[in-house]
Amino acid sequence: MTPAQDDRLWLNAYIDGELDPAHALEFEQRLAADPALAAAHARIAALRGAIRERVPREQASPQLRRRVAALARPQPAPGWRALAASVAVAFVAGSALTYVVLGPGGQESGTPVAPLVVASHMRSLMASQPIDVASSDRHTVKPWFNGKLPESPRVVDLTTQGFPLVGGRIDVIGLTPAPTLVYRHRLHVISLTALPARLGVTPPHAIDGYNIVDWTEGGITYWAVSDLSAPELEDFARAFRAGEAEP
Amino acid sequence: MSRADNTRFANVVLPYLDDAYALARWVLGNRADAEDVVQDACLRALRGISGFSGANGRAWTLAIVRNAAYDWLRKNRPAAIVPVEDLEKVERVASRDNAAVAPAQDDPETALIARADELRLQAAIEGLPAVFRETLVLRDVQGLGYREIAEITGVPIGTVMSRLARARDRLIETLGAEQ
Repeated sequence: MTPAQDDRLWLNAYIDGELDPAHALEFEQRLAADPALAAAHARIAALRGAIRERVPREQASPQLRRRVAALARPQPAPGWRALAASVAVAFVAGSALTYVVLGPGGQESGTPVAPLVVASHMRSLMASQPIDVASSDRHTVKPWFNGKLPESPRVVDLTTQGFPLVGGRIDVIGLTPAPTLVYRHRLHVISLTALPARLGVTPPHAIDGYNIVDWTEGGITYWAVSDLSAPELEDFARAFRAGEAEP
Repeated sequence: MSRADNTRFANVVLPYLDDAYALARWVLGNRADAEDVVQDACLRALRGISGFSGANGRAWTLAIVRNAAYDWLRKNRPAAIVPVEDLEKVERVASRDNAAVAPAQDDPETALIARADELRLQAAIEGLPAVFRETLVLRDVQGLGYREIAEITGVPIGTVMSRLARARDRLIETLGAEQ
């Protein structure tokens, strides 16, 4: 016989150590006298043991930790600048030169671009707003750049593809001021930075948990950086490339 | 948000981020949605932190995560939410079937359950209806007590007990069956 409903509750509470000592003792005596109850006890104990041993406890990823910590830190903490710098340094030390930033005179400053765009993206997430101009309207965002940079970037409306425009900002990559568009996908922020194109070998596809997708068109290299998954960021890049620019 | 709120948030909520993520992950079933929901929940927690009574930070945080997760499900996957009355109906039928098969004292079922590997356990837990799953996960994976689970899920302790018993019965039935 399967134990009655009440006994099942008692049995579970007993196994979970939720009974006070007097009731636990009473229940132990019943358990010793009732084989069906004892069998049910054995099965629940086996289940608990298997779960405890073999079902892993999930842990928050470092990216999630960063995203949540950033919520409670509207002012960028000094530690973050140091961290961003160390990402750049670690990358210079650990890899062959790839894309490098050109100084104003067209000379290579010797710093790869990828860690710099990632550092700018991280820095922007630490700020109270990842943008300097907040608008979902590309007709507002594009002219905003006009007054500040020699060339304003291509701005594409991707709302229907699931990537609404949030706004824009100017990042300084190496010594080059670069227009950066900010899009969103669910709660993820995507930074899209436009820089003059140059030759180089393939940059890394991820740095410190941030995915990177880059492509070049019309003499401009676009760098998309986000904690979105790589396939989703590729979707974004595809949508942007296919999208219609401001006339 | 004042500096004091931020500090409070860091002390009350951040220590339970793993618990928060684990709960969201089990309720929603995948990492990306769980992370979005935890971020949303943390934003809610930060906004409401001045209303926190100071009793139990873990239960307070997890209750917010749970609400955020169910709000998300209602919006994005309404089919995943089964009304509890329907579950009770199914349950009555199931336990009648169960009663017909009397377990022997030293049954092979127990041995099968004890040997279930990670994949089978995971699949069986994921197959539970949401309210049973969250109760079981909070108790057996995350190690919380009945009182805390009652606080998080917003039901009386008696309901926690019956949900837990049912969740375990279902797992025993699934895992105790030959593959």
